Amino acid sequence: MLSRSAERLYWLARYMERTENTAKVVSVYMNLLMDLPKGVEMGWQQLLRINGAEAEFYEKYKSAGERNVIRFLLSDESYMGSLFSSLSAARENIRTTRELLPDEAWEQVNELYLFAKNDLETVSNRRSRVLFLKKILEGCQRFSGLLSGYMSHHHPYRFIRLGRNLERADMTSRILDLASLLLSESRSDELRQYETILWMNILTALNALLMYRQHVRSRVKGDDVLSYLLLDKDLPRSVTRCLVEISDCINQLPNNDALSDRVQELEDYVQAIDIREATQLQLRVILDDLQNKLGGLHGHIADNWFSRVMPE
Amino acid sequence: MKSIWENYTTENAYDELMYSEFQPRPVSHGLCQYLNSLKKTDIDKRKIAAELAIMEMGITFTVYSDEGNIDRAWPFDIIPRIMDAREWRIIEKGLKQRLTALNCFISDVYGEQHFIKDGKIPSETINSSKNFRKECVGMKPRHNVWANICGTDLVRNKDGVMYVLEDNLRVPSGVSYMLENRVITKRVFPELLQGINILPIDDYPTQLHDMLSSIAPEHIPKPLIAVLTPGIYNSAYFEHAYLAQQMGAQLVEGSDLVVKDDNCVYMRTIEGLEKVDVIYRRIDDDFLDPEVFRKDSALGVPGLMRAWKAGNVALANAPGAGVADDKVVYAYVPEMIRYYLNEEPILPNVPTYLCSNPEHYEYVMAHLAELVVKPANESGGYGMLVGPHATAKEVAAFRKVIQADPRNYIGQPTLAISTAPTLCKGKLEPRHIDLRPFILQGENTFVTAGGLTRVALRKGSLVVNSSQGGGSKDTWIINMEGH
Repeated sequence: MLSRSAERLYWLARYMERTENTAKVVSVYMNLLMDLPKGVEMGWQQLLRINGAEAEFYEKYKSAGERNVIRFLLSDESYMGSLFSSLSAARENIRTTRELLPDEAWEQVNELYLFAKNDLETVSNRRSRVLFLKKILEGCQRFSGLLSGYMSHHHPYRFIRLGRNLERADMTSRILDLASLLLSESRSDELRQYETILWMNILTALNALLMYRQHVRSRVKGDDVLSYLLLDKDLPRSVTRCLVEISDCINQLPNNDALSDRVQELEDYVQAIDIREATQLQLRVILDDLQNKLGGLHGHIADNWFSRVMPE
Repeated sequence: MKSIWENYTTENAYDELMYSEFQPRPVSHGLCQYLNSLKKTDIDKRKIAAELAIMEMGITFTVYSDEGNIDRAWPFDIIPRIMDAREWRIIEKGLKQRLTALNCFISDVYGEQHFIKDGKIPSETINSSKNFRKECVGMKPRHNVWANICGTDLVRNKDGVMYVLEDNLRVPSGVSYMLENRVITKRVFPELLQGINILPIDDYPTQLHDMLSSIAPEHIPKPLIAVLTPGIYNSAYFEHAYLAQQMGAQLVEGSDLVVKDDNCVYMRTIEGLEKVDVIYRRIDDDFLDPEVFRKDSALGVPGLMRAWKAGNVALANAPGAGVADDKVVYAYVPEMIRYYLNEEPILPNVPTYLCSNPEHYEYVMAHLAELVVKPANESGGYGMLVGPHATAKEVAAFRKVIQADPRNYIGQPTLAISTAPTLCKGKLEPRHIDLRPFILQGENTFVTAGGLTRVALRKGSLVVNSSQGGGSKDTWIINMEGH
């Protein structure tokens, strides 16, 4: 398979995953705010924090109210991390790799893009936003499902899985980062009362509530949730599971030389994290570090397979 | 009752579907009955459904501009163009005959040049052709076929006769639209298609794949086939990607390929370099190989001609095949058929006056206001004069253009090309159409059942090119036997 195609499929999967994650996080967050009483210190700016986009946001907007944050995260075409930008980038990548994918894959992404483009203005209204996000989530799921069911699980598919899981691990670590911030000692008594609701919503954002209940079999507690989302080997969106998937793809791809070891190192690093021993501050440092390491892994993947300049 | 046929007329040209506004031809009986059974709002609904399908399937032209990328939907008319299979079989035979003769001619031009030596064509005509590539002299592509993929433009005159307007032997496009048009029609008129015996067209990608396999360097049982595209900003990129996907071939850009010292072509893959055996190139000769043709080409592959000449890779169409895609050479095709095949041409040419010939030149100059005058090497309907539609000023300006370079111009009578009912603001109106069948030649020869019907959507216009306000229709070849 062409290196150029491998790169475009990898990014196609990353952008589709980013689209889905953005839709999921925004919709869970709306839900959470409806549960919390007025006056609790959970504003819309926390959403910007997850994307690490506060600086860019304040260059364009004065205040982080619902309207501005939603516009920025969902429909702002000039912000590369917005849902619509991600979906547009996914479409551009699939447009140039159509020959490797089932017919329905292109139509699915194209239809989703056309829908989003058409309905972009409706997201300022809460009720239509709920419908909009639901459609986006369904579209992303259909896309993953049809690839899984229609496409050979060969090299092109492995690059799709690789992109998807790297993006997913990154998003999970960002959400955990926000969670650990909320756990910090400085939180108010009022927020503490609602802690369980907070953690339940974080599980929901990662589609993990049911699995958590079955697996952990205890009430929803911060430390347990963090451990579960970081270390569980079976939950699709836990960091560890994403690394298992990444490692599986890498080991089956050709010329994987140094990469196998690098993923193994990263897996060991994550397994060694002990949530109960770490202070909140230490935990945030660890999660920051994890995000950097994931970025490093992306660099190695790109150098190894996507590089256009090859030794003669 | 006001019907969708109100004000329909068949007076000005041969109409493909109707004898008159009241009487359909036998082939279009079923369609007309069906259309008359629909309410006007139903027809509008089908039209909207077709437009939606086109957007969702992403059958678009992308127009890139400073303000961003604009996707324009492929202009499609839902009313099909219909032909009787009995007539089609004759045309099909004629197309095969024509391409076979053209390939004999190209082989001859780059070989012994008997056609020139026997005085059938002036050597000057070949030597002055922009598309004659001296680098190709002495080459022998497999099966002696140079033009593997040909799009021949056919028009029907008022006399009811189908004429060949031109042979596109370089990188003819449009076949993906032919295929997608049928997919849309199936979505929009499912109940109609069931009752009519229409020849299927969807085996084209398979036929294309087989043809490309048949021209691979010998002793390669399963050749690696690639479609070489100029890239995503090319207006035909949709088609390149579509055909690669349908054939299961690799879609490559110039920068994905490299020619090494062993004169073989390789593509850059995740596993290193992998050898490519057949390239269906959608790049003009000029841009194919900067080592040989245009030095500034960033689209091509340095060394590709070396690899081709060494017989390590097949190129379709072969470089230099365009020498027969020249409107002056066109005039000699009937003679080629007689000369190489010893047969009479089945499909006639449009009478053509060559401005390089002094007698013809005088005639063209004296009749500019009646003729269509075209440059020999342009495509897309550019740089031509349609005499009856031009102002006196335009005619005078064009006269000077011809005087400056007579070799490059031909004149033809203005044909009253045929019409077909086309949906215009909820009513059917006659619009001029042509037909581009696609012919494949490798080990065997294959002709699509029908082809791409292009329609001039502007009232009275004869220009069907999509870049100039043209659209397209699904083309039905109907088997009437047993009816």
